[in-house]
Amino acid sequence: MSVDEDWTQLRTLLLSPEQTQLDELRDRLDNRAVQPRDVSRVLPEAFAVRGERDPQLATVLTPYVENGFVATIRKSPRAIVDAIAPIMGPAIRQAIARALQGMTQSFNHSLDESLSVRGLRWRLEAWRTGRPFAEVVLLHTLRYRVEQVFLIHRETGLLLHHVGAEGAVVQDQQVLSGMLTAIQSYVRDSFGASPDQTLDHFRVGEWTVWIEQGSHAYLAGVVRGTPPETLREDFQAALDDIHAQQPDALTHFDGDAAPFKATQTCLENCLHAHYEPPPRPSALKLWILGGAMILLLSWWGVMAYQTHARWSNLLVELGTEPGMVVTVAKSTLTGYHLEGLRDPLAKDPSAMVVEAGLEPSSIKAVWSPYYSLDPQLVETRAHSMLHAPTTVKLSVEGDTLVATGSASTEWARETRRLASLVPGISIYRDEGLVTTSIPDLLERINRTVVRFRSGSSIVEPSERAALGAGSMALRELDQAVSQSGQRVRLEVLGSTDDTGSVTRNIQLSKERAHVVLVALGGDQLGEATTVIAGLAQSTDQRGSTGEARDRRIVTLRATLTVANRGNEAARP
Amino acid sequence: MMQKKVCMLGGFAVGKTSLVRRFVSNVFSDHYHTTIGVTVEKKSVTVDDRDVMLVLWDLYGEDEFQRVRDSYLRGSSGYILVMDGTRRATLDAAFALQQTALQTVGTVPFISIINKADVRSEWEIDERTIEQLRERGWTVLFGSAKLGQGVEELFVTLATQIVHAAPIPRDCL
Repeated sequence: MSVDEDWTQLRTLLLSPEQTQLDELRDRLDNRAVQPRDVSRVLPEAFAVRGERDPQLATVLTPYVENGFVATIRKSPRAIVDAIAPIMGPAIRQAIARALQGMTQSFNHSLDESLSVRGLRWRLEAWRTGRPFAEVVLLHTLRYRVEQVFLIHRETGLLLHHVGAEGAVVQDQQVLSGMLTAIQSYVRDSFGASPDQTLDHFRVGEWTVWIEQGSHAYLAGVVRGTPPETLREDFQAALDDIHAQQPDALTHFDGDAAPFKATQTCLENCLHAHYEPPPRPSALKLWILGGAMILLLSWWGVMAYQTHARWSNLLVELGTEPGMVVTVAKSTLTGYHLEGLRDPLAKDPSAMVVEAGLEPSSIKAVWSPYYSLDPQLVETRAHSMLHAPTTVKLSVEGDTLVATGSASTEWARETRRLASLVPGISIYRDEGLVTTSIPDLLERINRTVVRFRSGSSIVEPSERAALGAGSMALRELDQAVSQSGQRVRLEVLGSTDDTGSVTRNIQLSKERAHVVLVALGGDQLGEATTVIAGLAQSTDQRGSTGEARDRRIVTLRATLTVANRGNEAARP
Repeated sequence: MMQKKVCMLGGFAVGKTSLVRRFVSNVFSDHYHTTIGVTVEKKSVTVDDRDVMLVLWDLYGEDEFQRVRDSYLRGSSGYILVMDGTRRATLDAAFALQQTALQTVGTVPFISIINKADVRSEWEIDERTIEQLRERGWTVLFGSAKLGQGVEELFVTLATQIVHAAPIPRDCL
């Protein structure tokens, strides 16, 4: 064995473990490619560390996971169905529950508002505009709602994707995207703004358009109402996600918007809405409202009861009133309705309505005229038609008219002819009627002489009988001639004896004539014309011997004239 | 559906809006022209059995008072140069606008159309000039917005050129 071999053997014995390690280290340095085995050892930890730092790992892996998932579904769909069935069931149930909850909330919201004054106003608006009531309620209680979100390619202005809230009015999206882009360019150019200075938002009526810029695309949200500033952060976050998810599609966009359908969920998350909760009415308000309602109802009830009672009383009154027959009586929405028959001589029904305490305008009455056979009305009718003088008393017994008292012969004759023509009268009887002719009455009046004591103008009790007879005859005559177109002219002639001065005697004559005229009721004679005359000495010699006592008299002289002047008291 | 932005360019009153009106059914108010200088319309055409939506940016006619904004041109996949055959000056405007478009959007497909073909006898642009345009590589069509002549062909031809054109990265222009 040579020396070299000995050394080699010795070195191997001493340094063998270190030599092996050195060889391994040399191999590693010579072969620097990462070995799968090495990566496999650190891969889980590497994922964990990077995943904690930022979401980039998830963003990068998403397309690969998606592709793998799609490939797996195509390859063995059954396995996928079996795998996700346990979670799909609850997910579907949850989605249905959410939808139902949303519907219930909307319904409750509408119901809450439907009974308030504000709700009634909105209901009127819904009726006027033709919108559903629930929609009007939502619009009025809306604080803000993101109605549409546009994802637009920044350079071309072409629409990448669009989502809209349910019920929102969606315009022509592609054209709107172009115009939005043009408006931004116009504003930026007009103010000389730099490319990074962009139109942030603009407001049109109740809508605000919020624009969030990304490197390749921008997001335009059409918001109704006043959104909170935090909404902008949500928009920006969505835009960042989209840029992270679709970097290639955005960079190399050539007009094909199909890849951006994947942004649907991202954009839908921006469709926020916030509604104002309906104000709860306070308990006090409810009590006051309830109390007022009860008072109002009570008052209405009392008034309705009173009115009904008055109406019933009126019907009873009308039923017992002569000359009225109620055929229809009913209450309507606007008041009461009456129909019936009414004798022209019956009481005025309007006055009866007022007496019953009812408003005449609340009752519509239709009365048809007729002749009532009620004795009271028949008697009134007979008086009216036959022009009975006051000295005659007419009474009705069944269908018989009975005349008593005194009347002129002419009136009695005329009444016998006309009585049976009075409705309700078949028979006329006037056995108890004393008739006198006009000449007889004239004679009875002219025969009247009233005597006075010397120097007196006071009617003596003994003269009252004569005065009464004259007065009676005068009234009968007045009524008898009233229908003949004639008038009674009555001269009351006072006179004295020859004692005393002439002046005094003339005065005394006038006084006596006046006293007699008053006693006769001459100023109340209907158609008579009365004349008072005073004579110093009577020329009337109706005294038996022309003695002085026979000249202290007042005599009457009645004549008939054609009626052409009113009642008058003439004095010489 | 594939969307393509197309700009309508041309001098003042050459008939750009009339051509668009002939092409699309629903047109925004002309008021936008005088306020922000552009109206946007859209129309679908079919190229190789594929639907392509043309989003037409109808730019206000360039004149001494108002110039076409470069920013409106950006992102266009193609453009249409409109001239009025009865006014030679509109040809010069078309040249200037083509240069502007070239600088802004690069070498994208474009088509020129000489409008008012219904009054050909009154044209100031002669055949020789038209031939020179074609020699420069321009596609020149004749049309009449008044009669609707050549309008559909104009947009379909441009859409076809855009679809068939290979995408050219902006960095290479």
